[in-house]
Amino acid sequence: MLEPVLPDITPAGESPQAAPALEPFRASEPLTLGVELELQLVNTHDYDLAPYSDEMLRLMARFDLPGSVVPEMTSSMIEISTGVCHSTAHVLGELTQLRDALVRCADKLNIAVVGGGTHPFQQWHQQRIYDKPRFRELSELYGYLSKQFTIFGQHVHVGCPDADAALLMLHRMSRYIPHFIALSASSPYVQGQDTQFDSARLNSVFAFPMSGRAPFTLSWKEFEAFFSKTTRTGVVKSMKDFYWDIRPKPEYGTIEIRVFDTPLTIERAAALAGLVQSLAAWFLHEQPFVPAEDDYMVYTYNRFQACRFGLEAVYVDPVTGRHMPLRDHILETLRRLAPHAQRLGAAPSIQLLAEDAELGTNDARWLRQRQARERLLAEVVRQGSERFKGRR
Amino acid sequence: MNEIMAVWGQWLKPSAGLPTVQWSLLLALAAAAGHLVQRHMALPKVVGYSAVGAIAGVAGFTGAAWPLQGIGLFLLELAVSVVLFETGGRIALRWFRYNPMVLLQSVLEAVLTYAAVYFTLRWLEVRPSVADALALVAMASSPAVLSRIVTDLRATGPVTERAIVLSALGALYALTLVAARAGLMHREETDLFALLYPVAVVLGLSVVVGAALALFLRFALHFMSPNSENTSILLITSIAAGTTVASHFGGSAALAGLLAGLLLKQLNPRPWAWPRQLGTAASLLVMLSFVLVSVVAAQAEWNPAVAGIVLALVGARALAKLSGVLLANPGSGTTWRQALMTGWAMSPMSSLALLLVSQFASASFTLGPRIASIALPAILLMEVLGAVIATFVLHLARESSQPEPVSGAGPSGAQRA
Repeated sequence: MLEPVLPDITPAGESPQAAPALEPFRASEPLTLGVELELQLVNTHDYDLAPYSDEMLRLMARFDLPGSVVPEMTSSMIEISTGVCHSTAHVLGELTQLRDALVRCADKLNIAVVGGGTHPFQQWHQQRIYDKPRFRELSELYGYLSKQFTIFGQHVHVGCPDADAALLMLHRMSRYIPHFIALSASSPYVQGQDTQFDSARLNSVFAFPMSGRAPFTLSWKEFEAFFSKTTRTGVVKSMKDFYWDIRPKPEYGTIEIRVFDTPLTIERAAALAGLVQSLAAWFLHEQPFVPAEDDYMVYTYNRFQACRFGLEAVYVDPVTGRHMPLRDHILETLRRLAPHAQRLGAAPSIQLLAEDAELGTNDARWLRQRQARERLLAEVVRQGSERFKGRR
Repeated sequence: MNEIMAVWGQWLKPSAGLPTVQWSLLLALAAAAGHLVQRHMALPKVVGYSAVGAIAGVAGFTGAAWPLQGIGLFLLELAVSVVLFETGGRIALRWFRYNPMVLLQSVLEAVLTYAAVYFTLRWLEVRPSVADALALVAMASSPAVLSRIVTDLRATGPVTERAIVLSALGALYALTLVAARAGLMHREETDLFALLYPVAVVLGLSVVVGAALALFLRFALHFMSPNSENTSILLITSIAAGTTVASHFGGSAALAGLLAGLLLKQLNPRPWAWPRQLGTAASLLVMLSFVLVSVVAAQAEWNPAVAGIVLALVGARALAKLSGVLLANPGSGTTWRQALMTGWAMSPMSSLALLLVSQFASASFTLGPRIASIALPAILLMEVLGAVIATFVLHLARESSQPEPVSGAGPSGAQRA
C-alpha cells in the first residue's frame, strides 16, 4: 500500500554541506497503480473555496477506508490517495469508497467537494496556508507562489520492475505528456477569467524552480550521480524538491506522472490511470522504441500546445518532426494500446478516453460549456460538485 | 444639543427637511469613526458606528424618538429585513437532514437562553410579563452585526458559518414568539381561537409576503444574473416593498424577509453573489440601523439597579448560549473549542433586538417602557461588546483573512536556500 503522500514541494536544502544520498529504488510489482487526487473544498453559499480541511480530516478518520487522506498546502484543499491497485477497476473501487466518504463528511459540514485543476474564481491572496510547520516554512520561502499553488492535480504512480526500467519507462512516457494534459485538462478559468488555456494549472507549476522535465539518463547509476551533484550544491535535498512532470519515486518503486489536472469525476481519474497502465504494459511487453535526448527538443512545444489548446492541439512527432493533430495521435495511440488494455481490464477506460478524444470533450470543454450557459462561475462550481458526487 | 438644533432650524431650511441634514452628518461621522476604530484600534467598524450613535443619543439628538415610528421604524425594519433575507439565503435546509445536531444546537441554545434569562430576571424580582418579554428578546443574536463583522474580516470557516446559521434560526424563533407574545399582551380572553387569531394573522401574513417575495425573486433570477447591479437593485427594492406591505397589513417585515431568503435558497439552488454586489447601498442601510439602535438605546435611563439587571441578563444569556451550543456539539462536526467559539460569536444584540422591543412597546403602553428600560441598555452594551467578542473569536478561530505574519523584511533567498 502506498504511504500517505507528502506534498510535492519542500524547502530547498539547508546547507551546501548536507548532501543526502538518493534512497535505493525499492522493488514493486510492475504495472501496479497508485492514484492521488487533490480536491477542492467549497462552501455551499457562494461556492468559493472554504478552509475546512481540518474538519474533513477529522470526520474522514472515522471511516475505515483504503489508501489515505491528507492535508495539502492550503486549508481549502484535501488529498486522497488509493493504496496499491492492480487494475483500473481496483482504482475506481477505492476512489469510489473515498469519494462517498468525502461526500458524506462534506454534507455533514455543509460544504461540497469538487474536482478540476483550478478553482475558477478563488482569489489566491485569500487562501490560508495549512497550519503545519513545513507548510509555513514553504510559505516563507516561496511567498505568494505558495498561495498561487492552490491548484489541484492528479498524480498516477505506476510500478516498475527495477530502477533502470523505471528511467526507461519515465522517458518513454514523456512522449505522451501532451496526451495526458489534453485528456485531463480541467483548468480553463483562473481568478474569474477564461485563460484561453485548457490547462492553466501547469503554468503555476512552471513558476517553481526544478520544474519541467527530468534529466535524460537511462541508467540509475548516472541518475544517482546527477542527484548527488545537485544535492552538493545545496539547492535540493530530496527527490521531493524536483517538481518534474514525471519523476522516479524510489521509495515506492514507481514513476509518478504529475501533469494531470484533477478531473471532475473519479471515473475519468480511473480512466487516466488505465491509460498510464496500458502505456506501461505496451512499453514493457513490446519495447516499442528507445527514448533519446532529442525527444525533448519538441517536448516543451508539445506541452505548451496541449495546455493551450487541449484536444485541438498540434503534436510534433519527436522522431520525424511531422506535425499532426494531437487528437489523431491520441486515437492512434489508444488503438495501439487496445490489446494491452484488454488484458489489464482497462478496455472501458481506453474506450471512454477514445470517445472523448474523438468528440473533443475534455473537462475544460465541459466547464466552458456550462459557463456559456450559466454565465456564473459559482454555478459552474456547484454543478461540478454534483458531477463529482456522480449525480450528473 | 437642543439649542444647537434650534439655531440650525432658524438658519437652515433645506428642501428635504432638517432631520435629513442631521442624519446625513451623523452618518458621515459614524462612517469616519468606523474607519478610524478599525484602522487604529483594530476594533470592528460597528463599534465606531455605535459610539457615534450613543454619543448623539446621550447628547439628546432628537432625530430618533422612542418608541420608534414612521420613517425611522421603516428604515430599521428594512435594514433588518435585508440582513435576514441574506442570512436566510445562506441556510440550506437539507443540511439539517445530514446534520440534525445543528438544529438541536439551535433549539437548545434558544430554549436555554429563554429559561436562563427568565429565571435570572425573576430572581431579581422583575415582574413575570417583563421577564418573559426580555427572555424572548434575549434569544435573538444579531445577524446584522455578525454579517458586518464577517464581511469586514472576510471570515470564512466552520465557526463563522455555524454562528450565522444559528443566529438566523434564533431570529426565526424570536420573531415568531415575540409577534405571538406581543399580540397576546393584556388579552383577557380564554377562548383559544381568540387568543391564537392575532398570532395566526402575523405568521400567516409574513409567510404569504415572504413566499410572494421568494417567488418573484426566483422568477427574476431566472433571466437576470445575480452578478448584475440591476439584480441587486431589484432585490433591495422588492424587499423594501415586501417590508412595507408586511408591516402595513400587520405581519412581521423581518420575518417575511427571513422566510423569503430561506425559501429562495430552497427554490433556487444557484449560488448567490448578491451581498458583494449590493455593496455600498446595503452597507449604508445596515450602518444606519446600527447608529439608530445606539441613538435610541442611549436614551434609556441608566441607574445602578438597571445596570445590575442588565449585567445579569447579559451574563445569563451568554452562559445559556454557550451551554446550548456545547451540549449538542457531539456529532455535529465541530470540536469543543469551535463550539465554544461559536457560542461566543453569537453574543451581539442589535437592530433585530431593538425591533423586537419596539413590537412590545407598541403592543403595550404600560409594559413597553418597563421592557425597554432594561432591553435598551442591554442592546447598546451588546452591540459594542458583542461585536468586539465576535471579532476576537473569529480571529482566534483563524477564520478571518489576515495577512500572514511577516517578521521584518522577510527571509532573503540566500538565507533560505
